[in-house]
Amino acid sequence: MLLALLILILAFLLNLFLPWWSIAIPGLMFGYQFKKNGGASFGWGFLALFLLWGGQALYIHFANAGILSTRIAEMLGVGSPYLVILITGILGGLVSGVATLTGSLFSSLSKAK
Amino acid sequence: MRFLKPVTSLIILIVLTISLNTKFGSIPPLGKFFDPDAGFWANAELSEPQSAEFLLDGVKGEVSVYFDERRVPHIFAESKNDLYFVQGYITARDRLFQMEMQTYDAAGRLSERLGSRTLSRDLSTRRLGMPYGAEKAIEFIKQDQEIWSALNAYSDGVNAYISSLSPKDYPLEYKILDFEPEEWELIKTAHLLKNMTRTLAGGNSDARTSNTAMFFGDDFIEKFFTIKPELNDPIIPPSRVWDFEPLPVQAPDSIFEPALALELEEFERPEGVGSNNWAVDGSKTASGYPILANDPHLGLTLPSIWYEVQLNAPGINTYGVSLQGSPGVIVGYNEKAAWGTTNSGTDVMDWYEIRFKDASKQEYWHDGEWKPTSMRIEEIIVRGEETVLDTVFYTHHGPVSEFKSEINEEGNPSYYALRWIAHEPSNDLKTFFGFNTMETFEDFREAGSHYVAPTQNFIFANSEGDIGIWITGKLPNKWKYQGRTVSDGSDPLYDWQGWIPFEQNPHIKNPERGFVSSANQESAAEDYPYYLDDDSAPFERGRRINELLEEMEDITADDIRKMQMDNYSYHAATILPEMVDWINRERLSDAELEILAEVEKWDFFNNSDLKAPGIFRWWWSNFYYAILSDEYNSTDASLRWPSRDRLVEVIQAEEDLEFFDNIETEEIETRERVVTDAFKETVEELTNAYGDFGENWNWGVVINNDVDHIAFIPGFGAQNLFSSGNSESINATRGTWGPSWRMVVELGPEVKGWGVYPGGASGNPGSPNYDSMLENWRTGELYELNFYKEPPMDYKYSLKFNTND
Repeated sequence: MLLALLILILAFLLNLFLPWWSIAIPGLMFGYQFKKNGGASFGWGFLALFLLWGGQALYIHFANAGILSTRIAEMLGVGSPYLVILITGILGGLVSGVATLTGSLFSSLSKAK
Repeated sequence: MRFLKPVTSLIILIVLTISLNTKFGSIPPLGKFFDPDAGFWANAELSEPQSAEFLLDGVKGEVSVYFDERRVPHIFAESKNDLYFVQGYITARDRLFQMEMQTYDAAGRLSERLGSRTLSRDLSTRRLGMPYGAEKAIEFIKQDQEIWSALNAYSDGVNAYISSLSPKDYPLEYKILDFEPEEWELIKTAHLLKNMTRTLAGGNSDARTSNTAMFFGDDFIEKFFTIKPELNDPIIPPSRVWDFEPLPVQAPDSIFEPALALELEEFERPEGVGSNNWAVDGSKTASGYPILANDPHLGLTLPSIWYEVQLNAPGINTYGVSLQGSPGVIVGYNEKAAWGTTNSGTDVMDWYEIRFKDASKQEYWHDGEWKPTSMRIEEIIVRGEETVLDTVFYTHHGPVSEFKSEINEEGNPSYYALRWIAHEPSNDLKTFFGFNTMETFEDFREAGSHYVAPTQNFIFANSEGDIGIWITGKLPNKWKYQGRTVSDGSDPLYDWQGWIPFEQNPHIKNPERGFVSSANQESAAEDYPYYLDDDSAPFERGRRINELLEEMEDITADDIRKMQMDNYSYHAATILPEMVDWINRERLSDAELEILAEVEKWDFFNNSDLKAPGIFRWWWSNFYYAILSDEYNSTDASLRWPSRDRLVEVIQAEEDLEFFDNIETEEIETRERVVTDAFKETVEELTNAYGDFGENWNWGVVINNDVDHIAFIPGFGAQNLFSSGNSESINATRGTWGPSWRMVVELGPEVKGWGVYPGGASGNPGSPNYDSMLENWRTGELYELNFYKEPPMDYKYSLKFNTND
């Protein structure tokens, strides 16, 4: 839980200034540090960015009265703006999940040393 | 082996990240694109824009921009340079993507951004000599201090905006197509204006007319193209006396036939490019002052081709619509006068057959000698692929295109050079700048005298009570029907031998009838001493406008607004009663008779809530096609089709016209048979497309009016707007074409304007302002325009610019 929260906060801060792929950094860092098993690392890492990106998207969707998300949904042919929000969350989640997993796997490496 | 897992995981992470950062085909880089901070989400407008202040290099004094409730910018500057600088900045702020794409298109550079799918468009743009024409224009503009410095200020302003952007601020389309805005070069304004020439004067039927003459003979040409419909009602009233001695022009003895006759194909100007304008003088208005109206018909897109703006600085106060990429106002008014424009069909684009000495194409035959060509290598960068080089040879006529024969056995190519007004040195902005500050008819004339292309019917009214119209543009002095067919590139008699003096262009000031008007019909009556063209718009809109204005008295601005929404179809009124008369009812089922009854009772108004307009439109087009298509399709050659108003006259007069017979069948078809078959076919097609006869046949549905995004991105346009109108009505809304800006201006001590265009000030699809005027445009409401003499106290928000020096 704490793992996800830390990833979320740091990713939010980095993403403000750095390109989007900076969201992988907190997963790598905290995944390494927390040394959780593979499944849990991926899960928490995924959850953090799913909530962050999905949440940001959901906020923008409502604050913009759905104007843009509806157009993007039509452009992508996905039918609903909520699917656009979901995709946003999943994309962020995937990168962060794999990053956290990678971090944790490297930590098991150093443990074994 | 213990490294295997973490390293594999790391590789997966890297591959995943790189793939999400890469564009695949038309799919944008997904990670970058969905990033809520810098991807498309960042383009969602979350609150109304706020006032702000900027310090910028390039502005000399203070400039204030006030945005009204429709977010129209009102720019108040202390100098003209500052004014155009900030116009550039603000226009880019709202419309950057469109500005760039229009000029990429005009320069033949689309493939640089969009890849090979636009390569053929770019090649044809280059072969037309569009960049060549823009370069010549810029060289010419350089000699004009006022325009040159305005262009410099404008492009500096655009660049000031572009350099203030970071990737997350880029307009949405850049993120979708994954490229960055580039520096705005001054020549882009020339590219943009050349694009207007291509849109409005980039079509001709030389080859098709040559083909048609070869295939059907000269009598056919005479009957369908030379003879004009009796209902024609030219722009300049026929009562006008031409009291000048025209310049002489020498014609050849016979008309040239091209070598590849029947094989040439060319660009066709889609019907829909057209416009209306009219002005009534004080004798006909309630206020006693003139009223001017204009609605240019162009492709309807989101964002709109127009950007509304007020420009105020010492020596200038003008309001209207601008083209993004060009300083000044293109259609609008100032404190003393108003102007509007429609397109003129004058023939300023001709094809010449060229004979080269040998395959090197270094010399061509002209006037009894071999003359040298020049060469231009066009370099087209293609995104993700190799750069394409295309060598274009130029004769004194213009750039040469190659056509290969598909019919004759040797397959020898033939060469055709293009003589086109877009290649003339031009400084058309000078005309619009003149209009922006003009007061009198003399100012109007003076401004127009600098104009080259595309030929426009500029209309004028001022607060002193004068009205007028001038067919404006540099017009070649041609012998009768010169350039209607493909020309002989070796015979100097086919060259453009000179120009019609501007003072002799068709024009009129304060005609007795109390109004002037144009709707793309022929410019002047038969007695006008010069040949201009033979391919003007059908008479329908022009005649309707003139008949309404003739009868109207005590006209108010609101009467004019209603008139712009007039849906009367002269076309239906002239032919539908007879089509109903000719039909063989015995061959119709009960259901078909019911549908026929619907069109029989129709009053010829193309209103959205009627079923008859759609039935008539399909019926007419099936009928027209059935009459001619069997003959026209019997050759591979592309032929010129008669205009509908002339065909109507012919079929009314000739019940036994040979074209009624379908040459593909044994029996002899009659007019009755063809019109009846066409009706039955129409019912079947409409049923297939829209279901059984009912509400879904309403014209508002069948008209299929879409306002698409400029790059046709799905979801970014507005589809199926339930609309009235048609190309033959004053309200010429049809498909994706129509009135792109409706404007009414009432002159007087206080000039008042009203207007609307289908779109909104913002070019951002994530803003509510993007399409906020669409509904009022659809229903024909106009907004009262805020034309300020002083900086306003009441506004939505403002931007202030100050010098950084």
